[in-house]
Amino acid sequence: MIPNNYKFTVQVIGDSVRGASHERRGLPNQDAILWVPASGKDLPLVLAVADGHGCSQCFRSESGAELAVTVATKAMQNFLEILPRTTNLSLIKQWIEEKLPREIVHSWRNAVADNLSANPFRILELEKLEEVKGSEARRQAVLNPPFAYGSTLLATLVTDSFIIYLQIGDGELLTVSETGEVCRPLPRDERNFAHETSSLCLKDAWQGFRVGLQLILDKPPALILLTTDGYPNSFVDDANFLKVGPDLLKIIRAEGIERVRKNLRIWLTEATEKGSGDDVTLGIICLMNGEEDASDFPPSPQGENTLEEERHERTTT
Amino acid sequence: MSTNGRKTPGGEISHRTLHFIWIVDCSGSMGCDGKIQTLNMAIKEVIPHMKNAADENPQTKVLVRSISFSNGARWHIAQPTPVENFTWNDLSANGCTDMGKALEMVAEQLGMLPQNERGCPPVLVLLSDGQPTDDFEAGLNDLMNQTWGIKAVRIAIAIGHDANYELLQKFIGHSEFTPLQANNPEALIKRIIWASTVPIKAISSPPSQIKGTSVTGVNIPLPVAPPADLSSANDVW
Repeated sequence: MIPNNYKFTVQVIGDSVRGASHERRGLPNQDAILWVPASGKDLPLVLAVADGHGCSQCFRSESGAELAVTVATKAMQNFLEILPRTTNLSLIKQWIEEKLPREIVHSWRNAVADNLSANPFRILELEKLEEVKGSEARRQAVLNPPFAYGSTLLATLVTDSFIIYLQIGDGELLTVSETGEVCRPLPRDERNFAHETSSLCLKDAWQGFRVGLQLILDKPPALILLTTDGYPNSFVDDANFLKVGPDLLKIIRAEGIERVRKNLRIWLTEATEKGSGDDVTLGIICLMNGEEDASDFPPSPQGENTLEEERHERTTT
Repeated sequence: MSTNGRKTPGGEISHRTLHFIWIVDCSGSMGCDGKIQTLNMAIKEVIPHMKNAADENPQTKVLVRSISFSNGARWHIAQPTPVENFTWNDLSANGCTDMGKALEMVAEQLGMLPQNERGCPPVLVLLSDGQPTDDFEAGLNDLMNQTWGIKAVRIAIAIGHDANYELLQKFIGHSEFTPLQANNPEALIKRIIWASTVPIKAISSPPSQIKGTSVTGVNIPLPVAPPADLSSANDVW
């Protein structure tokens, strides 16, 4: 597609924890995360996270989220093969903005149909829905089965020359530059407010996708973060959430990516317990110069308190 | 942030905040037949129930305040107070029914809340026994012009047969829910308990709702309130 002389390597880590309030109410983790290839170290690489809505009508959203990350990773990989061999950027952008969301939604609906065929709605599921939301909700579920599987989706494809970002529904997709600057590569969707979100299960859902293309003409972002809304909602405000990006970059540089991998579950658990109570999922794509490997970065000579000391300096100056 | 000697990425973590606001009619008619006394007693009685509801949902910090209206409106408890510290000071009844002014003042406060997706929808509980004597529509417009006004869970309790049911329905704004009628002290107590506990539970750990799919526009799925004692034989208001 577009030639790029900047060489980098990639590594993915990620985890998902069941929400503290879900544990209390006996609900499953309705988030999902997947990356391909499974090694997380080869290009092209796709990372996807999804958040099943969990409302009464979406009584199969746990499966909906799993299906979402599965079809999105596959569709984005397949997409590379059919992407036109051209340097015409507007044509490529058009493909990415229209064909890719259509393909993902189409594949997700097919996957839902297969899942439903293998596991038809149980009487108990429908009775429970009717008890909570009434007979009309039950009728609608039968008429429009994808609704029961409703989920958000955030996904990123990284190749050696470009990055594609896409998202439908709530959650956060962030990039962190080499200097620690945090950006949102996709526009905010004001419809996602006060527990409301757009969804893969909506009619013409492909039109609700936000899609972005970034050419790697110079240095790519140092980190790309994909999270479900349970993580940002655990912080006091946006500014406190946005510190996650540069903090992760500092930890990776000071102590290596293994430090993050080993602690990620602890951090996410702490976030849901002391924060939102919702399921929390975070996927991190770490892009490194040339042949460097983040795990090879030496530990910080300042030791354990580097991050705290730097934050203290930030807040006191 | 550092916890137990560990470095944790990101800034301060916190539970989400739920603002709960009582909007109480203190017009002269509320002084008749013990309405205001029953209301004072009922709210005092309900505080432990609110605390329990909040305790069951530790991921949400519930902050309570109260505004009263008669000749104008005033913040009776202005400070958003954690429910565990909340105490009720008795209200007395006298004067007109300036409900519009109260809604305008609530709107002003909601406009000062952070306008981001992290917040919980506020809960507004309006209790009234009569007809507004000021510009109700203007106050309601102010409220509905606020993002958190539209997104709020708005509950109305109609005290007695003289309450303006139609305007209270306008305040609620969703056809799925109607004002909760209370024509006797027992019914008022039941209504107040329901209105102050069920929404807290519903909002504290809500699943995501799919945008644009609710027939009524309700973003928080509340169960239907159980009937109070609707026997007219017990009606005193």
